[in-house]
Amino acid sequence: MALLAPTRAEEAIAELLDGPEGRVAVLAGGTDLLLDLEEGKGAPEVLLSLHRLPWRELRWGREHLEVGATLPLAELERDPELARRIPGLLEAVGAVGGFALRNQATLGGNLVRASPVSDLIPILLALECEVGILGSTGERTIPLEKFLLGPRRTVLARGELVRRVVIPTLPSAFRWQRVRPANDVSQISVAVARTPDGEHWRIATAGVAPLARRARTAEALLRGRSPPEELMVSAAAGAAEEAGVRADKRATDTYRRQLLRTLVLRAIRAVPVGPTGDAG
Amino acid sequence: MTSPLRLLVNGVPVETPVPPSERLLDTLRWRLGLRGTKEGCRTGACGACTVLIGGHPRLSCLTLSHQVGEEPILTVEGLESDPVGRAVMDVFVAEAALQCGYCTPGFVVALTGLLKEHPGASESSLLEGLQGNLCRCTGYSSIRRAVTRLAEPAP
Ligand SMILES: Cc1cc2nc3c(=O)[nH]c(=O)nc-3n(C[C@@H](O)[C@@H](O)[C@H](O)COP(=O)(O)OP(=O)(O)OC[C@H]3O[C@@H](n4cnc5c(N)ncnc54)[C@H](O)[C@@H]3O)c2cc1C
Ligand code: FES
Ligand code: FES
Repeated sequence: MALLAPTRAEEAIAELLDGPEGRVAVLAGGTDLLLDLEEGKGAPEVLLSLHRLPWRELRWGREHLEVGATLPLAELERDPELARRIPGLLEAVGAVGGFALRNQATLGGNLVRASPVSDLIPILLALECEVGILGSTGERTIPLEKFLLGPRRTVLARGELVRRVVIPTLPSAFRWQRVRPANDVSQISVAVARTPDGEHWRIATAGVAPLARRARTAEALLRGRSPPEELMVSAAAGAAEEAGVRADKRATDTYRRQLLRTLVLRAIRAVPVGPTGDAG
Repeated sequence: MTSPLRLLVNGVPVETPVPPSERLLDTLRWRLGLRGTKEGCRTGACGACTVLIGGHPRLSCLTLSHQVGEEPILTVEGLESDPVGRAVMDVFVAEAALQCGYCTPGFVVALTGLLKEHPGASESSLLEGLQGNLCRCTGYSSIRRAVTRLAEPAP
């Protein structure tokens, strides 16, 4: 196996398109890929490491945060603005693995992995982020919800890489439940975001269905920056029904449904009431 | 197939042939003889293999040696000559914050990284930073005592 670490995006794309399918595996932080390789899943001839590409942007706009695909998650935690401007994202990032893991794991890798138990996908769905995909003909941008097709499946075609993620700055919150706080998989995670005016609320759940998803019927019940208590309770109950709860080795379906209701309610209450997410 | 690799380990430039898919953990232990860095799980879950790369705690079991580049590496062997590392180790000794000692290199290296990045970090932020480090022996209370002593007293 050879390791290539191009410094220019065109070289990386050309390498991906060269030779038969499966010849090249893309390597970012390696926290998923190296484990797969160790377990004998896949036998690429070439590891294409993205670490030399200048893809580590962390750029605040008026209404968005742009994150380069290979920025280590810990760099998001280090940003002094994140807690105020996208609180739910900071909470979700902090839930991934331990601190040393987050110094190498990337946002791009987490999205491409498309794990049913990803802690980042629910919050990014709730925030309605967009994924910038780079291919030989340039960059296209699509909503995360369209990017994800199923567990470990995305719309990425051969010769394409995730280049960046563009994240709206919105009042938001993230809640999770697991047995151990770090380096364990969340049994449930829940993300909630709302538009600054309170017109639209968005709820996403993970750890229940094969892939994280929105709970659109439940979110439509919420209006305003601080909805009445009874609507919050109905929305939480609705989200638990809508989530497609299943049982597995980590938890039963009854437990999950109850937990979901509680966590959705807590997450809704935790969304800051003020109009954060602006440039002020 | 191996290719030559240059690393800066504990302030010393080293050069050694390393296969492209080799983990930093294995290069340190088996090529450079730095056996202080431990292999606990090899899956990113225990923190025993923690080293500092460019000053940041990283898992050497999930890092390819060829991905490190020019960033300086600090392992437990290099803590002796680092003032923060020295202080962390002294407190671990004073509090007897170990039993078998297998997890200890990971703990002291991670703490050194956390304290160098945030001098005067609070106890709770240090404990949070150690969430990825497991110990099977101490029951953690002696490690927590050491962390309390390393943290600034709460305001
Ligand atoms: C001990 C441990 C604990 C964990 N805990 C959690 C947790 O609590 N929550 C959670 O959500 N996740 C958790 N994870 C998984 C998390 O570390 C990964 O999903 C991580 O974010 C993946 O990023 P990476 O850079 O390491 O990806 P890599 O392993 O480098 O890559 C992952 C996949 O994405 C592809 N890829 C990477 N970058 C790109 C790109 N830019 N374009 C196209 N394809 C790309 C790779 O080819 C590979 O298929 C844990 C992992 C470990 C080992
Ligand atoms: S050996 Fe690397 S985390 Fe356990
Ligand atoms: S002292 Fe034995 S594992 Fe921690």
